[in-house]
Amino acid sequence: MAVRVAVAARLRPARRLVYIYFRCLGQQMKAILAYEADFAILMFSAVLVQIVGFAFIWAIFQRIPSVNGWTFWQVVMMYALIYVTEGVGSLFFEGTWRVSQLVYDGQFDQMLLRPISPIVQVLAGAVGFNGLGNIVTGMVLIGISMANSPIEWTPGRLVMFAILLVSASTIRVAINLGSAASAFWIRTPWSLVPTFVHQLGDFAKYPITIYSLGVQALIVVAVPFAFISFFPTAYVFGMEAWSLAGLLTPLVALYCLFIAVVLFRIGLRRYESTGH
Amino acid sequence: MRGFRKYVSFARTSLEITFVYRAGFAVNMIGTIFYVVAMFYLWQTIFLGNPGALGGFTWPEMKAYLLVAFLLNSLLTWYQEWVMGEDIRQGVVAIDLARPIDFQASRFSRAIGPVPFEFTSALAVAAIVAFAFGGIALPADPARAGLFLLSAGLATMIKFGLVYCVSMAAFWTTGTEGLTVGRMAVQNIFSGALIPLVFFPDWLRAIAAVLPFQGMISTPALTYLGKLDGPTTALMLAVQAAWAVGLIVLGRLVWGRAVRVVTINGG
Repeated sequence: MAVRVAVAARLRPARRLVYIYFRCLGQQMKAILAYEADFAILMFSAVLVQIVGFAFIWAIFQRIPSVNGWTFWQVVMMYALIYVTEGVGSLFFEGTWRVSQLVYDGQFDQMLLRPISPIVQVLAGAVGFNGLGNIVTGMVLIGISMANSPIEWTPGRLVMFAILLVSASTIRVAINLGSAASAFWIRTPWSLVPTFVHQLGDFAKYPITIYSLGVQALIVVAVPFAFISFFPTAYVFGMEAWSLAGLLTPLVALYCLFIAVVLFRIGLRRYESTGH
Repeated sequence: MRGFRKYVSFARTSLEITFVYRAGFAVNMIGTIFYVVAMFYLWQTIFLGNPGALGGFTWPEMKAYLLVAFLLNSLLTWYQEWVMGEDIRQGVVAIDLARPIDFQASRFSRAIGPVPFEFTSALAVAAIVAFAFGGIALPADPARAGLFLLSAGLATMIKFGLVYCVSMAAFWTTGTEGLTVGRMAVQNIFSGALIPLVFFPDWLRAIAAVLPFQGMISTPALTYLGKLDGPTTALMLAVQAAWAVGLIVLGRLVWGRAVRVVTINGG
């Protein structure tokens, strides 16, 4: 262990954070994989949820050709993007969901005692293997949707799509981290605010054009879930009116990440380690 | 009579716990409201683009269907299921084994205790949503409303029977989170909670017909809307009752086997 710490210390700061992050995450993975049955059931359930969601959209489109001009595969793409990014959040950054409990118990101390950024420790604090099921099923759905898109897939477009996917996942994790910071103000053992915010994502499973202006403002500006699903889909399918906004996704991701880190740092200053 | 009193006490305590943790209850409900509102916008758009009836449903009927589904889904929340799984996982269940009580009956009273609170909260929310979206179809007459309440009661019994059986799995596995998510997924599609079963192709409907789930949402909702004729209603209510009894008996059988594998050391 001492040797490994020494190795870590010699790495450059940014690489060191990544190294530490994966070391922490690896420990969590070992803990979960010890319970094989749970691991399998969690994965399988996540896949089941997506199949059911897909069946719902499919059943609707059996009756009608389009919803407000949006076709079956476009809606599937939006739906799948919501779940792939949720999967990334669960598999790699599930720790944000533990913040409430840690602050409530006063156990957050352990994060402050180590010479590593508390935010990195929070992000690596847990693993949700249901995320793997979500990522795999979601990517399969995205792949089929892409094949059904009228766009010609040049290498440039593929790279752009990869960037959109990474940006969308970043927005998701930033939203989780930013809302987890609420634990420093609102003291409950459960992730109240994060759950609340997370559920807003339900709106972004469908084209935003079906909503009233108020709901649109909520998921475009206030909590930008629309940049996780709707705008990237509009770009992929070349919907003129919206695809330019899709290109803004990486900027929105950086903005969200910045806000989340600032919120978390302000919250950290309020932490009293007393528990409640 | 004394035997019955202790179960009333379980129910009352459970209701009080729900009040204490009302913030958790509220957030849980708000989460479902977002989902219901999203569904309302989606179906509103669909009906605007396709005037008339879809799958035999008019827009006011579909609104009523969605709200009945929301109302029934709000009863017996995940909380009791989670507590039961945790009690078994952590070995707390040993205390229940030592008590002179029937385990299933005690869990049933705990599950049923908060129902009046869950029902009125969900009804209030449903009324607001119904008002915001221009009203819904109401039951044609008091008899129909009565039949709906009966069917809703049976639906709640089926849900308890099912949740109890699934929670028993915690005796063999270590966590119940995955099982709960899986159960809800299967239940959502086959109960008609996501979309009326009539929207499915025949083969999927045939599967739904032989499963207990349709009695949880579809049957009460169709009874509410008067979509079933007299004899069919009687038949569907009988099927509901049979599933409720069947699942509760199954739960007792599984419990009989489960207590033999129990290891009271947590983990």
